[in-house]
Amino acid sequence: MNIVTEHITIKNEVLTLTNQRAIYWDSQKALILSDVHIGKTAHFRRHGIPMPDDILQKDLERLQQLVTHFKAEQLLIVGDLFHAEFNIDMSTFKNWHSQFEDLQLVLIRGNHDSLSKRLMDDFNIRVETALVSEPFIFIHEHSAKYPETFTISGHTHPGVLIKGKGKQKLKLPCYQVASNQLILPAFSLFTGLNTKSKPDGAVCYAFTDSSIFKFE
Amino acid sequence: MSQFRDSDGLSIINNWMAEKGHAPFPFQLQTWQRYANGYSGMVIAPTGFGKTFSVFLAVVIDYLNEPKKYPTGLKLLWISPLRSLAKDLAKAMTEAVDDIGLDWSVQVRNGDTPTATRRKQERLMPDVLLTTPETMHLLFSQKKNSRWFKNIKCVAVDEWHELLGNKRGVLTELAISQLRHYAPKLRVWGITATIGNLEEAKSVLLPHRDLKVTQITAKQKKKLDIISVLPDEIEVLPWAGHLGAKMVDKILPIIASNTTTLIFTNTRGQAELWYQVLLNAQPDLAGLLAIHHGSIDKKLRNWIEDNIASGYLKAVVCTSSLDLGVDFKPVDCVIQIGSVKGIARFMQRAGRSGHSPFERSKIYFVPTHSLELVEVSALKEAIKDKQMESRDPMVLTIDVLVQFMVTLAVGEGFDAEELFKRVKSVYAFHYLTEDDWRWCLQFITKGGKTLSSYEEFHKVVLDDDGTYKVKSRRISMLHRMNIGAIVSEVNLKVKYFSGGYIGMIEEFFVSKLKPGESFILAGRVLELVQIKDMTVLVRRSKAKKAVSPSWLGGRLPLTSHLSHYLRLKLSDALEPGRLERELRFLNPLVSRQDSHSHIPKADEFLVELIETKDGHHLFMYPFEGRLVHEVFSALMAYRISKLKPLTFTIAMNDYGFELLSDQPIPISKENIEALLSKESLMDDVIASINASEMASRKFRDIAVIAGLVVQSQPGTRKNNKSLQSSSGLIFRVLEDYEPDNLLLRQAYTEVFNQQLEEARLQKAFERISNSKIIVKRAKSFTPLSFPLKVDSLRGTMSNENLDKRIQRIKEQAFKID
Repeated sequence: MNIVTEHITIKNEVLTLTNQRAIYWDSQKALILSDVHIGKTAHFRRHGIPMPDDILQKDLERLQQLVTHFKAEQLLIVGDLFHAEFNIDMSTFKNWHSQFEDLQLVLIRGNHDSLSKRLMDDFNIRVETALVSEPFIFIHEHSAKYPETFTISGHTHPGVLIKGKGKQKLKLPCYQVASNQLILPAFSLFTGLNTKSKPDGAVCYAFTDSSIFKFE
Repeated sequence: MSQFRDSDGLSIINNWMAEKGHAPFPFQLQTWQRYANGYSGMVIAPTGFGKTFSVFLAVVIDYLNEPKKYPTGLKLLWISPLRSLAKDLAKAMTEAVDDIGLDWSVQVRNGDTPTATRRKQERLMPDVLLTTPETMHLLFSQKKNSRWFKNIKCVAVDEWHELLGNKRGVLTELAISQLRHYAPKLRVWGITATIGNLEEAKSVLLPHRDLKVTQITAKQKKKLDIISVLPDEIEVLPWAGHLGAKMVDKILPIIASNTTTLIFTNTRGQAELWYQVLLNAQPDLAGLLAIHHGSIDKKLRNWIEDNIASGYLKAVVCTSSLDLGVDFKPVDCVIQIGSVKGIARFMQRAGRSGHSPFERSKIYFVPTHSLELVEVSALKEAIKDKQMESRDPMVLTIDVLVQFMVTLAVGEGFDAEELFKRVKSVYAFHYLTEDDWRWCLQFITKGGKTLSSYEEFHKVVLDDDGTYKVKSRRISMLHRMNIGAIVSEVNLKVKYFSGGYIGMIEEFFVSKLKPGESFILAGRVLELVQIKDMTVLVRRSKAKKAVSPSWLGGRLPLTSHLSHYLRLKLSDALEPGRLERELRFLNPLVSRQDSHSHIPKADEFLVELIETKDGHHLFMYPFEGRLVHEVFSALMAYRISKLKPLTFTIAMNDYGFELLSDQPIPISKENIEALLSKESLMDDVIASINASEMASRKFRDIAVIAGLVVQSQPGTRKNNKSLQSSSGLIFRVLEDYEPDNLLLRQAYTEVFNQQLEEARLQKAFERISNSKIIVKRAKSFTPLSFPLKVDSLRGTMSNENLDKRIQRIKEQAFKID
């Protein structure tokens, strides 16, 4: 796996965007990600739709390499860590987590995170609806409730559609960075792309397996 | 024999017909007799000759002669492809049994049937049930469904030519085998219009060796007048896809001089446009002109159909929604707008006018762009030669098979060994191997390749009694919602904010609209208020300008038969014969093509290279129809990009295709022959199919039919959001983790079988290698290339490094959407 990075500075804080769908915030030793949708493949299977679970394995391997690479002490997940009801994928995740001695998990509850508090405690996950960590507010879906503070969110699975000469079109996942907010791409590869919603004036950082491209 | 001729049943029917001033046609009499002698078979008759009464009355006569053979309950099952047909057929049949004095009940059951009626039918089935292939499978998914069918005597498949050739045909084949399982003595009858492969059509419907099979052909022929409507001068014809609104002045007098006119368009979008254009041109048509297509509310459609039948409407703008059906007696004129792309379809539409056996059919053809005039000329020639297209049956459709297996598991359950034998006897699965069968069983019970990764998957389980069953209610429910083989775009219901349903619209179109913007549906201008729960809420709009929706479906490719005639006619067009009105008219345009580039003669193949601000264009014109061009163009893109890594946008229509690149295309008189060579043709085709998006597109339908993608139901609150995914995503996942998944393989086979038509492609390359290849560089778009630029379906193919590609787009002053 090839981790490509690009540093951006927001409110005097340096954030490291990676081409692996997560941001590293060095001063907090935190890896920030969104929309992991663990349990999605098992949820599909339970409803009679066969999906291989290699998808989850691949997502978790990628996450493990990111944690090791940055020596992160904290995972800050801005929502939709889990896709649906409790299922076997969650245990896989719990096992995965146990390989780290002290990797803290903080989850900003997203619309898919419907697991009970007891289960979350059992997983050793701290759950918040929103988290203020100066100078940012972490929240699942950006909201106009915080006009003064810079929000970091996920939820929309942002992508960018670029058009070139000869009627070329390309769709890539991206980070969207505007004056008052940043939106993360979905971490899981088993998700779609939404190229329709883009905050006003946002800059898109799109990425491939080997590069990050800035589109203004 | 004489016994039947003297039977009471026959004389009752003969008397009844005589009272109405009719006598049976010879083919009807023949059908009745053969049925009485225990035959199954196929009736070949054009619409309007009483084909319904051939099979229907056969059962009635047999019943009248031997009522004791028929216990109470379902006697005749009538399967027809269109819901709208059922209602009118039921009416005609009910009238007949009432007149004869039979106490039979004739009922309809399909997606439009109210729940209360359905429950009633389940308690007591009518004597005759009219239904669709999908509804049959829904019935099989019910508990204890065999009790309804075990005394049934006959199943009739109406308009079989419409089902043959697509997956609904396979659903029908499977339904018949299931019915035969319940009622082994069942007689099976098909009714079809003339197609190119009648023998095959018969063996697909009736492959069962224990049946006595016969074929009955109506000798009656329909007289047909084809009249092209030509504009005053050739320039007024706008280019492809744009409606020839200026032709309105030519159409209005035709409507005025006939009793009732059906105006056929090829897409629902075009129907909406023409409705507006006609009303604007002659406002007093309001109330006398209606619009009819598949996305319009059922009630409105019924109203329109009733009013055509009663002669109240002067004209109806419609799509294939009115292709089939019972007689609309007042219709004496048909106008076809735009090319129909096929000989059989053209005949079918023409046949909607002058419906009764001895009248002439009259069809006016209104071109929407000039080249379509060549198509009419080709059509006339093909009809003169009595050439009809074949409908090729689909085989080994694994998606339909796994759906059927789950359907049975939801219903009464199935025994694997017995079902395998039965499925193998169905035409579509003749060549199903035991390995394939085991894979299907594995797929519905375990999910896929390895046991471990599918631990939670229990869609179908082997029950203690040895049958396979679905135990989960939720899975049963999800499956029932998904039964069928028609995969539509995601559709949203359109409703007035104040209440009142208008019709359906594709999500893809609505997603481009903002609240406050206006669009046209069912001939009304509507303003979008909001979208909620899969429903579009609108109010009436006063806006003068509104977009008319585009529906992705409904574009038909040119059939191979017609394309053959098209090639001939185009080279004729430079020196048209005295009687070829269309070609003479076209002459200025063809001459322009010839002076700016070239008109390919029958033994020539034209290649055009054009450079514009969009980039570098390469055009080729094989005239093989859109489906073959999709494969052909991918092949060319593949061969060229072996010379130099390039990204192509590919566009195709029925005449040819375009490869567009931002970089110069390395093609010249020197290497063109190698590029078009028939050497290693199939290897390159396979490689190019793998590199293109064709299989992924085919997988879209397969994923839905096999239940991998859950379709959301329009207008419902419960849209199973947590189970949403796209077929594209699943296609990639399976490519990565389960490359030997049979459904994935099916996607590739479908490209091969349906589009490629290996023999046809081989022949095309054979022809090209014997042709003189003409390479022309033109300064601007030519008459042949222009339609490709403005209106065509597009795809992409690239073998460039992705990063490099993005970098270059960035430098080309990219646009973000």
